[in-house]
Amino acid sequence: MKIIGLIIAVLTGALLIYGTVDFPEWADPASPASTHLSPHFIEKTMEETSVPNIVTAVLADYRGYDTMFETTVIFAAGVVCFFLLRILKKEGPRQRLYRHALTGMTIRIRDGEKRPSVLDEFERIDTMWTPYDVIIKTVCRLLIPFIQLFALYVIAHGHHSPGGGFQGGVILGASIILLAISQDLRTAIKRMSEKVDAILSPAGVFIYAGTGALCLLLGGNFLDYSALASILHVDPVTARSHGILIVEIGVGVAVMATLIWIYNNVSSAGKYDEGL
Amino acid sequence: MNIIATFLLICGLIFFTGGAVGILRFPDFYSRLHPAGKLDTMGLLFMMLALSLFNLHHFSLGTLLTSLKIILIVVFVFLSSPTAVHAIVDAGVRAGLAPWTKGEERR
Repeated sequence: MKIIGLIIAVLTGALLIYGTVDFPEWADPASPASTHLSPHFIEKTMEETSVPNIVTAVLADYRGYDTMFETTVIFAAGVVCFFLLRILKKEGPRQRLYRHALTGMTIRIRDGEKRPSVLDEFERIDTMWTPYDVIIKTVCRLLIPFIQLFALYVIAHGHHSPGGGFQGGVILGASIILLAISQDLRTAIKRMSEKVDAILSPAGVFIYAGTGALCLLLGGNFLDYSALASILHVDPVTARSHGILIVEIGVGVAVMATLIWIYNNVSSAGKYDEGL
Repeated sequence: MNIIATFLLICGLIFFTGGAVGILRFPDFYSRLHPAGKLDTMGLLFMMLALSLFNLHHFSLGTLLTSLKIILIVVFVFLSSPTAVHAIVDAGVRAGLAPWTKGEERR
């Protein structure tokens, strides 16, 4: 069985390599891509979409299908992590650690033991105990809002500078992951629960595909944002620019939620109780 | 303006060189982190100051905003870089790595 697999893999590889022989030369100015496509994008992007950043225009407008399914792939990765790793049975660790907030004293309670009544003065900490570190916690709390602000800037400024939905979404997700690393997983889950992740992740894909479907309803092609001109009350060219922004927001939401979702599942081995 | 920018760039380069030499020459983990955390941050301050000054050559709102963004980089690196080094050193101490003392072999 292994040999058959090997033969198939080698044959496919050989076929693929054979196929590359017919490719145009690297950076050949006479190749179809360089004679028709690239000049069109370079010359016409500004007047067709009014987006100065050609990469963004190509990514979210001319090649919108591709980006839509990239977003879907990211969503699928999150769902796969969820299905593979998540343990829905309520089974915590066999013991839990609590730290007294004022004195720093730690107590350990095994499963099934009676809990002391003054437990609300204690805060729960992970069994793989990471000692309290004021500096890291404070600096991270100070930085996270700015990181998130920067992420929004990256998403919104994708029209004019490098950036866009994917990058901004990753930065947003990383800010929550930084919270989970600097404090603990439960703090991050309190801010961004599993349910929110699971709703936002497909919601981002829905925003993207829904924008495309809306264009279809308004009489354009799928993902032809100029059809949105009538409901946005702008001319078709500006509508394409705005359409790109809507789609980028969808991508950002999907990427952010999926990243946090994957991190939560992987770091806590699917238990969502304590991790890292 | 150009002279000040060049002077600041050279200052930054001196700090960066010190940092690089320190990382290569210091004897152990903790002491190597010392130049990595301090000198690189300081070198970055001078470099970014020079760049933001140089950027103000043609004074307008656009260049002013760009310079402000460059200064913001410095602010955030000043916050995050020492914290990161602190976290690494902390992890080293907790993992049980003893600091180097005089007379020992460098590692």
